[in-house]
Amino acid sequence: MLQKVIQEEKRAFMTGNEVVAWAALAARAEIMFGYPITPQNEIMHYWTRLAPKYGKSFLQTEDELSAGFAAAGGVMSGRKAFTATAGTGNILMQEPLSMAEMMRLPVVAVIQQRGGPSTATVIYSQQEVNLTTMGGNGEGLRIVYSTATHQELYDYTIKAFNTAWKYRFPTFVLGDGYQAKMREPLTLYDPEARGIQLVEQEPFVGQKGSPGKDRPPAQYRNTYNLEEELFEKLMSDVRDYEKIIPELAEFQSSGVEGAELAIVGHGVVFRAVREAVNVLREQGIKVCYFRPVTLRPLPVPQLKSLAGEVKKILIVESAYGQLARLVTEAVYGANAEIHTLFKPGVGITSGEVEARAREILQKPLH
Amino acid sequence: MTDRVVEAYVGEYAAGKSENALNRAIGLAGQDRMVTLVDLDLVEPFYTLRPLQKALSRLGVEVIAWKTEETLGLGEAGTVIKPAARWALRRAGDIILDIGYGVEGARTLNLVEGSTADQDLMVIAVINCSRPWTSTVEDIVLDVQQMARVNGLINNTHMAEETTVDLVQEGARTVSNAAKILGLPVVATAVCDGIAKKIGHADCMGNPVRPLQRMMQKAFW
Amino acid sequence: MQLQPAMPRSWRVDTKPHKFCPGCGHGLILKCLGQAVDELGIEDRVVYGCDIGCSLLSWDFFNLDTVQTHHGRTTPVMTGIKRARPELICIAYMGDGGGYSIGVQHLVSSVHRNEKITVVLANNTQYAMTGGQMAPTTLPGQKTETTPYGRDPEVTGFPFQGPEMVSAIAREGAYVARGSISNMRQLTGYLKKALVNQIEGNGFSFVEALSACPTNWRTNASETWSFIDKEMHGHFKTGEFKTPGSGQGEVRADE
Repeated sequence: MLQKVIQEEKRAFMTGNEVVAWAALAARAEIMFGYPITPQNEIMHYWTRLAPKYGKSFLQTEDELSAGFAAAGGVMSGRKAFTATAGTGNILMQEPLSMAEMMRLPVVAVIQQRGGPSTATVIYSQQEVNLTTMGGNGEGLRIVYSTATHQELYDYTIKAFNTAWKYRFPTFVLGDGYQAKMREPLTLYDPEARGIQLVEQEPFVGQKGSPGKDRPPAQYRNTYNLEEELFEKLMSDVRDYEKIIPELAEFQSSGVEGAELAIVGHGVVFRAVREAVNVLREQGIKVCYFRPVTLRPLPVPQLKSLAGEVKKILIVESAYGQLARLVTEAVYGANAEIHTLFKPGVGITSGEVEARAREILQKPLH
Repeated sequence: MTDRVVEAYVGEYAAGKSENALNRAIGLAGQDRMVTLVDLDLVEPFYTLRPLQKALSRLGVEVIAWKTEETLGLGEAGTVIKPAARWALRRAGDIILDIGYGVEGARTLNLVEGSTADQDLMVIAVINCSRPWTSTVEDIVLDVQQMARVNGLINNTHMAEETTVDLVQEGARTVSNAAKILGLPVVATAVCDGIAKKIGHADCMGNPVRPLQRMMQKAFW
Repeated sequence: MQLQPAMPRSWRVDTKPHKFCPGCGHGLILKCLGQAVDELGIEDRVVYGCDIGCSLLSWDFFNLDTVQTHHGRTTPVMTGIKRARPELICIAYMGDGGGYSIGVQHLVSSVHRNEKITVVLANNTQYAMTGGQMAPTTLPGQKTETTPYGRDPEVTGFPFQGPEMVSAIAREGAYVARGSISNMRQLTGYLKKALVNQIEGNGFSFVEALSACPTNWRTNASETWSFIDKEMHGHFKTGEFKTPGSGQGEVRADE
């Protein structure tokens, strides 16, 4: 049986879904539960091709409810388990992931967003931001990484397992159909060879020793006697979550100082934003970009200070205001004007971002 | 044997099948030959030839692929074979088949009428050694052995914008060694125009170099 | 003659008396299950899962590692544990609503895949925790909160035949039985065989237990037993439906 997935660092040319499968192996994930839905299928295709070579398992379940709950079972047994889904599958996934949130289960879920609600439009979309950040019937106590490149898909899939097992909150990697299918080079590496310590997994149930003799039985419930008990439990989790926000929240920004307009985008759309900002700055136009890497928790203090620094903010997304709602709430009270470029279910080019920025700044191309 | 060119491009996911099929079809059309390009990617037809159909027609390549208005939900519900594709080998002139990926990808040829009997049909496996699944001689041999039928290999080793002459030549060595074990010829080393000029007419293993125009980016990949 | 202990060893004494209503069937089924676990001496390896519905009240019932999950989802959680740690013995305990309605796809699929888990399902002919609504198992003419004039099978179907369905789609190696709290010795035997089937790695095992809900039935003790023995037994045959090595076999019902 092969042990290490990546013997030495190497550049490779891959599709996004493949990257996730390799990254999960590099993170020493042990079992995947999945149900077919485009555009995440190749995560399962490559996991099922690779997993047996490394002694890992896979189960194709009857639906995403089962995939999510079986993944919850997998982590409770003390194994690094994960799942991947999209669209309507992500809706079903909210039930198990809500339980995971409440029972503090380190389930990792990779979401490849697709246009919706619909079938067949599976390439461009950022319409699962609401669902992935706050989709349960709870308070959204989860971590969501929104990736923009294949390298990030690799890095953050590995990181997601560490975050989940360190903090015991369900953790999502939020990609999209475009990232899933597109091809670009990246560096594959063994995380430990780079000094990234992999957080050890521990069993919730099936622990060593005889329950009731050597140790109390390990018993987990998602039922509360009274509203007050639920409140206590929730508030304790909320406090835990709020305490770790500064360690978790990630962002990327450039050129904020002196900028008139900040362009905010996440995920694959950020690539267009960055390109547009570079082009505009070369032409002497004072713009900057800000990209939340974690959509949950959002880097709120940094967004607030951004909104104090610039006069105008342009929020760009392949959705009709799902990121904008998060950002607007975060910067509430600041003076910056909020502008938007929403294209739900459609890709956004740097040219479109550039044109919208010029329109806002009243600097038309001559 | 006739002078008819009938080629099917098979290979691993994202190996460069469509790019090679396209360029081959355009190349043949450029020699004033009658060429039909057939999209047999049953998994992801949406992402492949469809957006390029008009451009290809202008270059003299007849394309058998779904048009958006003819279908419903191709992006996901893609496993619908176009009737004309099934009978493509009955057409006059050169036929280039772009076959989709997957465990069953190469077996897609079974769906094409006359594929077993066609004397001219050459099934070409496209290999990119920068892809982890086909990065070593052993991996390539295993991958090709699992395909139903292969008559030759193409070294399509590249890393998009990061491609170098050395990378392509290293790929040529790996693919040639795999071909030797498999008892198959290396049909060509396919490489983007700029690098092709630096390498010349043959790669370090003596395989002919086939320059590629990157068309698929216009199909968004 | 050896006397049965008042409580199975695998029960948690500190959580007794249990949280079920007086006369509830759950306590009896779990007594049988506890005895089966005791007799097999598997308490160190068992993971017990309970569903939503009254079964959740058993979350601290045993001296066993336990997970209480969502409605109908105990089957996939136990599947996940078993797939990840095959050495553990996974028991999914649920009611008829969880197993035959909201989670029926999980039951069907785990049977179909021959998951090596044990599903124990309490059939009390209605949803108890939510206040006595119709369940898939409600008898024709039976009054519930959502069939106030009695269940009309033309409108809502006949009582769901769980073990019959499971045995019809189960593969060789599966164990399928229906017992009743009115015959606890037999029920304990079925549960033990079901667990042995999992321990031996033969395949899926399933035991439905006819149970009682006097609270929602509004029955006194003798009416409760009468409802089980006369009404329920008339619609639900007890016996073993499938045993490993029996092939597809005929239903071997009790007289």
